[in-house]
Amino acid sequence: MKIIITTIASMLFSTLFYDQHIGLNLTVFSLVTLVVLGISNPSKLRMKETLTVMGLYLLTAILVFFNHSSLSIIANCAVFFTLVGSFSESTSSVYVKWLNGIYSSIAGTFHRNFENKSENKKPWNEDVDVLHLVKIIVIPLVVVILFVLLYKDGNPFFDSIVSAINFDFINFQWVLFCLLGYYLFSNIIVPVKVQPATDSDLATENQLKPFEPLNEDKLKKEKQLGTVLLALLNTLIVLYIISDIAFLLSNTNFAASVLSNQVHNGINALIASIIFAIIIILYFFRGNLNFFDDNKTLKNLSYLWIFLNAFLVLLIIVKNAQYIDAFGLTYKRIGVYVYLFMTFIGLTTTFLKVYQIKNLWFLFRRNVSVAFMLLVLCSVVNWDAFITNYNIKNADSLDVNYLIELSNNNAFILHQKKDRMVLKSNQGARIDLKYSNYVSALEQSNWQEWSYDNLKIKTDIKSYEDTK
Amino acid sequence: MKIPSNLAKSSLLATGIFWVIGLTEGFESAMLPLMFISYIPVFVCCTGTILLTICPFYFFGETKHFSKRQVFQRFYPYYSIVCFALCAYGIYENTNETFLIGFFVAVFFTTMQSWIWFAKEPADETV
Repeated sequence: MKIIITTIASMLFSTLFYDQHIGLNLTVFSLVTLVVLGISNPSKLRMKETLTVMGLYLLTAILVFFNHSSLSIIANCAVFFTLVGSFSESTSSVYVKWLNGIYSSIAGTFHRNFENKSENKKPWNEDVDVLHLVKIIVIPLVVVILFVLLYKDGNPFFDSIVSAINFDFINFQWVLFCLLGYYLFSNIIVPVKVQPATDSDLATENQLKPFEPLNEDKLKKEKQLGTVLLALLNTLIVLYIISDIAFLLSNTNFAASVLSNQVHNGINALIASIIFAIIIILYFFRGNLNFFDDNKTLKNLSYLWIFLNAFLVLLIIVKNAQYIDAFGLTYKRIGVYVYLFMTFIGLTTTFLKVYQIKNLWFLFRRNVSVAFMLLVLCSVVNWDAFITNYNIKNADSLDVNYLIELSNNNAFILHQKKDRMVLKSNQGARIDLKYSNYVSALEQSNWQEWSYDNLKIKTDIKSYEDTK
Repeated sequence: MKIPSNLAKSSLLATGIFWVIGLTEGFESAMLPLMFISYIPVFVCCTGTILLTICPFYFFGETKHFSKRQVFQRFYPYYSIVCFALCAYGIYENTNETFLIGFFVAVFFTTMQSWIWFAKEPADETV
């Protein structure tokens, strides 16, 4: 049964991807993968975690068709590995699922081949003498080919007969692609796991436990050091925040370079501050200090340190918002928001780690899970179209060249709205060129490369002609 | 460890994979001697790769308390991922060179199979 499924899936794989760009093919491949995994591992379908990842995979598959952006393709690949990893061990952490997913996709067949042999399972080829089979096929074939080549040179009539044999109707590269698909599907059809890493992950809890014995004198000294250090750092960050607020309130009309410097310097300060904050907190709360009765002051100072860093995040958000208000959205400015969000999550999980006495693995697990979900959520938005629409509508100073240099995902919008923009000498022509190149690329694309824009193309051309 | 037989089998496998991919460009009878002679450079490549990147895991990893199977389970997954990443990068950088693609595909599948052949050998009595 599994061989039949794998064979059909591999032929589909070759039909979908051989000599094609990414488009509808990745969406169809994702659906095929879901069906193949579901049919071959029905017991896993009862797991809530696996069903959630399947839902996410379906979502990203649809997004690849609709958004057709690099981010949606990356998200789809990331969820693919998570899904395969989830089928191998659904209760493990996200990063272990990635490890299992990547390993299964790359070398699942080899791993199973070894495991079956060492567990003394009956191999598929036990009743067949494979070596003999190979010998009776390969050796005569090689010898016959050798003699055909020799006879070809000795007899012109025989040469003409041999030359008339034409295998051009077989596309060997297509066949090899099919074999690649077969290898991929046979790898994932029964996902395997990296046993040591998975076992260790499953055995590791999130809760921190006290180490014996509790050396009170040592803990007291460590607490004193931590209290002094965090008190000084808190004072310093308060001064920094006050000066930052004073700067923000002093002038409301900043030049682009000033705002840019402010945001970037703020980010650099934030990176250093957060890294130090987390390292210091993790150092002091790595062990028995968590269970020391007299640790209230240190804990409160840590909470304050986390809170003040979160406030620093808020200040950078304000600066970035001012920057965007004046000069519009760019990928880097959106990236700043993403970074600030992740920083905020990092601070929140660090707070939870101290408050609920969790270990380092808790931080890794939560933060990686949030980063993964954020990747999927970000892929929902067609950013090129969003940036273009936002900037045309809101930006005080519009950078048209930046919009033209974005991917083809904004070609329709730019073309439709170019009359509403103030364009310099050749910008109108560049927008037209971008649009016509994109339309011709869409018209020439095969069904495997289709995206939602292929469906939009006719209505877009019609509406543009109507407005003219 | 049966290194000579592993090297011979691996080289044969690598030569086969390399030429199967290479022949998608077309076949000429003049290539036939090349196909046989290519076993020698492929053998040299395989010897270097297997001795330097796979054997050390079994040489230093296998002990009385840590079997070949455990060596395989511990190190093979990471080796396969790194090997795949390097070969995929090599293919990505040479998408128009069929023979280079053949080379990298052969490297990947041969090293993967070579690990299995070593791991399936009975335990070494000397360790």
